[in-house]
Amino acid sequence: MTSGDEGLARGAQASDPSHDAGAPIAEHRSRTHATVETVLRNRLAVAGLVILAVLVLAAIIGPWVIPYEINEIDIANRLTGPSTDHWFGTDELGRDVFSRVVVGARVSLVVGFVAVGIALILGVPIGLISGFYGGATDSTLMRFMDILFSLPAILLAIAILAVLGPGIVNAMIAIGIVYTPIFARITRGSVLTIRQSVFVRAAESLGATNNRILRTHILPNVMAPIIVQTSLSLAFAILAEAALSFLGLGVQPPEPAWGRMLAEGRSFFEQAPWMAIFPGLAIVLTVMAFNFVGDGLRDALDPQQRSVIESRGVG
Amino acid sequence: MTEPILSVRDLTVSFGTRLGRARVVNGLSYDVEPGETLAIVGESGSGKSVSSLALLQLLPTPPARVEGEARFHGDDLLAMEDDEIRSVRGNRIAMIFQDPMTSLNPVRTVGYQLIEPLKMHMGLDAASARNRAIDLLDLVGIPSAAERVDDYPHQFSGGMRQRVMIAMGIACNPDLLIADEATTALDVTTQAQILDEIGRLQSELGLSVIWITHDLGVVAGIADRVVVLYGGAIMEEAAVDPLYEERRHPYTRALLASLPVPGADRPNRLRAIPGLPPDPTRMPPGCPFAPRCAHAQESCSQQAPELREAGEAHLVACHFDPEELYA
Amino acid sequence: MTGYVLRRIGQMVLALLGVSIIVFALIHLVPGDPVRTALGTRFDQEVYEALRARAGLDQPIVVQYFTWLGNAVTGDLGVSFRSGVPVTTLLLQRLPATITLAFAALFVALVVAIPLGIVSAIRSGSRLDYAATATSQVAVSVPDFWAGIMYILLFSLVLSWLPPSGYVSFFEDPLEWARHLALPALTVGLISGSIIFRFVRSSVLEALNQDYTRTARAKGLTERQVIWRHVMPNAWIPIVTVVGLQLGFLLSGVIVVEVIFAWPGLGRLALLSVQDRDFTVLQGAVLLIAFMFLLINLVVDIVYGWLDPRVRYD
Repeated sequence: MTSGDEGLARGAQASDPSHDAGAPIAEHRSRTHATVETVLRNRLAVAGLVILAVLVLAAIIGPWVIPYEINEIDIANRLTGPSTDHWFGTDELGRDVFSRVVVGARVSLVVGFVAVGIALILGVPIGLISGFYGGATDSTLMRFMDILFSLPAILLAIAILAVLGPGIVNAMIAIGIVYTPIFARITRGSVLTIRQSVFVRAAESLGATNNRILRTHILPNVMAPIIVQTSLSLAFAILAEAALSFLGLGVQPPEPAWGRMLAEGRSFFEQAPWMAIFPGLAIVLTVMAFNFVGDGLRDALDPQQRSVIESRGVG
Repeated sequence: MTEPILSVRDLTVSFGTRLGRARVVNGLSYDVEPGETLAIVGESGSGKSVSSLALLQLLPTPPARVEGEARFHGDDLLAMEDDEIRSVRGNRIAMIFQDPMTSLNPVRTVGYQLIEPLKMHMGLDAASARNRAIDLLDLVGIPSAAERVDDYPHQFSGGMRQRVMIAMGIACNPDLLIADEATTALDVTTQAQILDEIGRLQSELGLSVIWITHDLGVVAGIADRVVVLYGGAIMEEAAVDPLYEERRHPYTRALLASLPVPGADRPNRLRAIPGLPPDPTRMPPGCPFAPRCAHAQESCSQQAPELREAGEAHLVACHFDPEELYA
Repeated sequence: MTGYVLRRIGQMVLALLGVSIIVFALIHLVPGDPVRTALGTRFDQEVYEALRARAGLDQPIVVQYFTWLGNAVTGDLGVSFRSGVPVTTLLLQRLPATITLAFAALFVALVVAIPLGIVSAIRSGSRLDYAATATSQVAVSVPDFWAGIMYILLFSLVLSWLPPSGYVSFFEDPLEWARHLALPALTVGLISGSIIFRFVRSSVLEALNQDYTRTARAKGLTERQVIWRHVMPNAWIPIVTVVGLQLGFLLSGVIVVEVIFAWPGLGRLALLSVQDRDFTVLQGAVLLIAFMFLLINLVVDIVYGWLDPRVRYD
């Protein structure tokens, strides 16, 4: 098989075993250092980091620095175009679009991080257990993951939300569940490779317990592909949240979320296109930033891995 | 005195890198006589593979830059246009590469890959090309060639794949075969078989061979003449026997000391050469081997030694004679 | 090859069974009584009992599952609680629009991605490569629904070239069919295309750097022959996988895009059924979508075996 299909949809492969085998935790520090250096040399990744820094800042201090209250209604100035008073114009209730976009960063980032956190908390242990114990445990867990994976992301999220009911918390849970199989697969793949390596076998022959081997030897060494995937998944989680909010299944009004603002903007499309343009640009910028950082991390940490999620798409 | 079939003069290959231009081959000159086997020996990074890829214009340019001259039957290979050099490749000069596992296309049958140059260069039709492919497989010692011609590379063992590569190499009756580490990836028994095979074909077909390897042990059995390459330049060149006997250059000596010698008086002490080959972006100003040479003097790191005549058809690039060094 | 295909079919049937269990379980986890919900204010005990019995909801859950599965295999997916129309009928009404959009979008994607990906790889490092790679980087970050809205803004509202939404059957009016199809197909196709582009570029680049490519050049083949006879046959293998996956996603309904363009496809039906809490329809839609998705995967695997002798002779 050419190595080209290695990282494709069915089962992301871990990185080259030889690269891990000789380098357990001892080199961790210098490796981290080298990684940071490689990422910083990547101009796109740096651009991504800068955008993310701005977004995080907006999410934290946004409510205190924005020019208008996000729910301040001003009917006299409804649907006015971008101006020095209202940089991104106003919406159908005269609310300031710029202020709402800035505060909307909060929802996007929180939903993204929490959802991916859920996927990590569920997926990584499943992958660890599956890869480490093998056998029936492995095949049962992985079959289940495969089935989840064979349902399109948004459809699965919608089906889960149908059960749980719409709302921001449920949206996070749904997105988290949707992306669990990816983390399970990546973790399992890396574990399988590392398990075969010399240092794990040595630990085993010295009588280390399974638990200890998992915690001290395997987990630190499967981190690289997981970190990369986390960054890329954040991009997709934010897209997914936007889509769900757009459909009215995520964030509920009057809370400003980019996806929702887009949906509201659609109704006033002809009079006020800025209502849809600016929240959309914010989504593009955020997703792009996470993609750039993820690609940079991948080049630095795990050049052989190709994203599973990349081929999955959202929508 | 016959004309050499290949005459390389001042071949220089450099690559543009972030750290500046890296000179990988530095003014290399040698001749290949008809019917002779010339071995080019060196560690990895000595420029031996790059120099042979450069001959057939197989290096991507840029980043590579190739200068010098390589006259093949009088025509300069390096100056040829695209279609001229293509009519030489695989036809009059063929190459066999190191790794038979990756050098054959996994999704094409062995027959398909063998037939290609036959159609291309000899103008054979499908049926006769196929027959010739079967004959070739037979010739290189593949059993039941007529059935195996439609198999895929992954259905052959490593040694058998290298035989296929050889069959592909000799398909169009070339004048010159360049074998780049052609047996390195194989086990010792298979290696011996392949070497025999090439020797036999060589005497049957009368072709010249450039044998590129890091293994002086292999060279002893097959080569007529040896070029020892280091840091992209020739350190020593001589017929195989004088080279092994006199080992004029300290590098040749070090290479031979790192070989296991059956029945030698110190059987268990293989000596690795300390240090690493020079970084082509930062070549030392003097002799490229000086930093690793056990006999280096102060002058060695200041002035590069010229390649000089040190016996009949024996060239060496060292300021000193062996008598001075190994007294 | 036959053994390989049979094995893959077996795996698909198993996966489909798994999906059916998950879908069934999911729907039955829903808090509240679907019949009660569907009846809403028109509640009537007798009608309620009748509907429940008709839906088999008075049976034990395992029996309900096997009844549902047995019916599903014969093409009977139950009846919509909301409209009383058989679910299969609803699905079949929506299928043509979905299939049309999926293949049109895939067409757009391939027309863009394959030539551009190949040229980008062959001339990697060129300006064209940089431009194409940068564009695809941005395009994969664009939400499809926003792209859709922007296209409507530009092509319908500003330029008035194309209708902003709706669907016309090909058999009614081929020209209007195409005009209505253009924007949604472009929206989804270009995003899909950038994902495929990245794979085409990297797999061609990878094949170009293989030893066998050097062997092919050393034989004296022209660069064109090297690429079409040796590079592409290897590069297609991973490309086929990603194209198959993309088609799977396109067929499974690009829900948000369907909403924006008022496109009467499966995705919009699924969303509608969530909003209406019409769970037999949702169940059927998810099952059908998963089935199509797995079917595409099966086809991909077979093509894969056909392209790659190492898989075929496994």
